[in-house]
Amino acid sequence: MDLRTLKKQESKRKISKGYMWALFCAVFWGIWYLPGTVVWVLNPFDQMQATIAKTGGDGTALVITAVLITAFNALTVMVALMIWNGVLGKYGELVRTLKEFHPCSKWFFLASIFGGPMAILGSFIAMGFIGGAFAAVAGLLYPVVGSILAYYWYGEKISKRAAIGIGVIIIGGVTIFGGGLLSDLSSGNVQWIGYLGGLMAAAGWGIEGAIAGKGLDISEPDAGLTLRFLGENIIWWIIIVPLLALFGYPMYSFALQVFEPMTLLVLIFAGITFGFCYVCWYKSFPLIGVGRGQGIGNLYGLCSIIFIFLFFGNAPQWTILVGGTLCVIGSFVMFTEDASALETLRGE
Amino acid sequence: MGGNRPIKFRILEILLDGKEYWNYEIVSKIQEEYGMNSAYGRDSINFDIIELASGGMLKDVEQKIDEEGIYKKEFLLHKYVITDFGRSRGSDACLRNL
Repeated sequence: MDLRTLKKQESKRKISKGYMWALFCAVFWGIWYLPGTVVWVLNPFDQMQATIAKTGGDGTALVITAVLITAFNALTVMVALMIWNGVLGKYGELVRTLKEFHPCSKWFFLASIFGGPMAILGSFIAMGFIGGAFAAVAGLLYPVVGSILAYYWYGEKISKRAAIGIGVIIIGGVTIFGGGLLSDLSSGNVQWIGYLGGLMAAAGWGIEGAIAGKGLDISEPDAGLTLRFLGENIIWWIIIVPLLALFGYPMYSFALQVFEPMTLLVLIFAGITFGFCYVCWYKSFPLIGVGRGQGIGNLYGLCSIIFIFLFFGNAPQWTILVGGTLCVIGSFVMFTEDASALETLRGE
Repeated sequence: MGGNRPIKFRILEILLDGKEYWNYEIVSKIQEEYGMNSAYGRDSINFDIIELASGGMLKDVEQKIDEEGIYKKEFLLHKYVITDFGRSRGSDACLRNL
């Protein structure tokens, strides 16, 4: 075999593997909205919400409950990632990366602030207030935030094509948010906190991506992701949950009640799907490029709507369908740009 | 000093001298330093190099077929050199607290 055919063969193998990882990411991410939605009606979370609502009002009850759910989500993702790292034999690399706080791991801890209390909490709030399909599709707006941030932070150029993509995604976003808002307005009951949660998801994931990239450049993604979730667990279990308990919310008494088989099962399911969607996402980047990786990954919006329809029988509002489709089209326009340079993603 | 910094830091450190290296040269050096002598260890180090290249820190300058089985028989060997971006990220990460 000559050099040329071998090169072709190698790049073909690389690309098909990359697409496989990205597709797995979309499927896992889409499935995550199932346990994320179901967990709200399970004990102890539904009781917790009812108990807090009696004294603090519905809105507060939902947000406080979302905090506890997000904290457990972070915990189960951490368990899933620790098992994953153990199987890969990467505990050594994990400790080595953790020790490099200044050049490397500080970025993961910083990223976890935006990924956890902003994006994932926002997603759970949106799921609780409005529904899984809305939460999933609202998150599709994150590339807009990411690329605008990259433009101002490291002066990454936004090409004409990327700008068109951003425009299409924004129109999609307006359709998603606007459609729901209009029908809410006509019924006189606007779920502001739910929409805020959707915006938090989009902004949080955009910011997280831009920050985490700084650390991931020079570390192994399996180790980096685990540190990012270590950061998130610290934020929830050492800072926010004790703080809320101090303010008198019954965090611990309800947290201790999650050891019901069904609740545990759903939480573990959420941890596995979310943990591995992140792993697959990062595995795809070196093989097909960040652009295509994110483009395919964004099919999660479509996957989640299909799964939610299959399992819950909920057909989403047409505005969510139209807006979601626009977001997926927009991200493809944005991401399919650098078709020529597969092996190197950045300029030199 | 090898064996106590993240593997990608060490790979960048090796390439910071600006010379071109074949992937098997880097891989076997790291394997030895970190005690990763299995085939799995070898592939995982090689994937780190691929990730660094796709992140724009290394440049793939030459390829040849591994006819003698130095690395993997009948597979491609790649030769890399550090880029300016890799140099700035690498010296940022590696030359501090050495």
